[in-house]
Amino acid sequence: MIDLLLASAITLSVPLVLAALGGAIHRRSGTVNIGLEAHMILGALIGAVVSGATGNWAAGALAGLVAGALSGLLMNLVITRLKGNEIIVGLGYNIVMFGVIGYVLRAVFGVSGTLQVDGLQRMPKLVIPGVADVPILGALISGKDPLFWLCVVLVPVLAWLLRSTTWGVRLRATGASEPASASLGLRTLAIRDGAGIVAGALAALGGVALSLGTVGLFNENMTAGRGYVALAAFYFGRSKPLPTALACLLFGFFDALQIRLQTVGGFNADIISTLPYIAVVVVLAFTGIRQHYRGARALS
Amino acid sequence: MVAQGGLGDESYNDYAYTGYQKGLKDNGLEGTPIESDDIVGQGEQVLRRAGDEGLGLVIDLEYSHAEILPKVAADYPDTDFALVNAEATGDNVVSVLFQEQEGSYLAGALAAIQTSNTSDPKINADKVIGVIGGAQSAGIDKFLVGYIQGARDTDPDVKVLTAYSNDFADPTKGQQLAQSMFDQGADIVYAVAGGTGAGVIQAAEDSNHYAIGVDANQDDVAPGFVLTTMLKRTDVAMETLLKDYKDGKFPGGETLNLGLAEDGVGLSDFANTKDAIGQETIDKIADLKQQIIDGDIEVWNVVEQGYPDYYSGQ
Repeated sequence: MIDLLLASAITLSVPLVLAALGGAIHRRSGTVNIGLEAHMILGALIGAVVSGATGNWAAGALAGLVAGALSGLLMNLVITRLKGNEIIVGLGYNIVMFGVIGYVLRAVFGVSGTLQVDGLQRMPKLVIPGVADVPILGALISGKDPLFWLCVVLVPVLAWLLRSTTWGVRLRATGASEPASASLGLRTLAIRDGAGIVAGALAALGGVALSLGTVGLFNENMTAGRGYVALAAFYFGRSKPLPTALACLLFGFFDALQIRLQTVGGFNADIISTLPYIAVVVVLAFTGIRQHYRGARALS
Repeated sequence: MVAQGGLGDESYNDYAYTGYQKGLKDNGLEGTPIESDDIVGQGEQVLRRAGDEGLGLVIDLEYSHAEILPKVAADYPDTDFALVNAEATGDNVVSVLFQEQEGSYLAGALAAIQTSNTSDPKINADKVIGVIGGAQSAGIDKFLVGYIQGARDTDPDVKVLTAYSNDFADPTKGQQLAQSMFDQGADIVYAVAGGTGAGVIQAAEDSNHYAIGVDANQDDVAPGFVLTTMLKRTDVAMETLLKDYKDGKFPGGETLNLGLAEDGVGLSDFANTKDAIGQETIDKIADLKQQIIDGDIEVWNVVEQGYPDYYSGQ
């Protein structure tokens, strides 16, 4: 039971982790990315369509990544170059993206809602011999798709990049104070655009994790608000890669738990499906209180 | 004909449109679909414009128009109106309701028989089946309770797991919910959850079990893994309405209940699962269908009767 719960929690977390890490990088450069949902749904669509056309999941994932990078750049240009308000641009971008995708589905594919792509290849589940049957550990790392492993690699790599590389330091400096960074000669707009590209690309991979990972099809609303959950996750994780990823895992765990509790029966579905959200609020409150006291101690 | 959310959904609207076109052709009538991007908000304008054009019959597929339709219909007494999936009042208004619980009863009965058919490699030893609703509401629980009743009446030992996805377009959640049911010994899961159901079918294919589809025929989405589909024949409704209209028998002020007897709902023809189910079971289901039509079996209707004591909707 616990094995199945953990495996389910990880499956549900991977799309969130990818999108939230992208959002975290973008946030560190000084922009709150409200458009994660749009980048995700675009990645899910392009990934599914290209995987179907080529019969190759890697080509699909790559195409999704590129589409997301372009989408991330486009949205970010409106914020950095046209000085649009990031919240308004992001919200508007989401609405436009869902409208365009809905239109394309009807006009090009002649369907609405679900798109079943012929010849689509899903991502493989990588079973690790020997580990697969070990309790807990098997559920945690065996039978996962390549994007899970990308998350595992990305968390430390992104943390290192932010902490120890020129790129990371400049990115954080730009986020901390754009005028000060600009006065030092940093090309702050270009740095922010770069972060926007990373955010779009990672969020789109999160979408690919949905359309080629958990299932092998596309639905025009299949992100189902996960971009907004990712938004909460990187706030929760103070835009640091590891805490952000843990926040996503926490949400994924409680989502998997509510699914199991529901199917076991005896619980009201409406109440129990709020469990992941309540868990996030509770943990947010605890971290907030702890920080408050820590801050008070540091001052005294 | 006023579409709900636009044509091209390969389900409800397109299904209705097919029947609409056939009805037009068979009865020598002329007609056109009316679509709007905001069919809920612009409902009144759309209906009034249709009335202004002096159309003879306006069929409305959007159930949320139940409140405005009587007002509009009263202003256009020379036009007949029909509303699908909801009840509206008025002398020139016909309401069309589907008895989805009757078709769901058959789905439940079939699942209860099949879950004991362990010679089928997709069936495990546990007598457990499942059903996933898109949201908890009387309109969806009508399907669920019909299914549970069908299973209980057929084999009281069969356990029915229930869950709600709270989203009609999240296949990932559907896949996870179904997987969780399969993990608990279920082998057949009925999905009453729109696009979320696509994930349920996927889970069935991945774990070598069965899903049961809903509305438009989903048997070919994953051939062999969709045990059957509980069809909702919107096309039959359209043809019936147009024929009555042509014959001058338009039943204004009445409510048409389309159930098994009218072929308004029913199971698909088991195109890919005939052999796995077996003729004996298919005959049994046909017999149950006849008993419902004859009134020997009464299927619980949540919308009219509330919740039965064996299912509280939780």
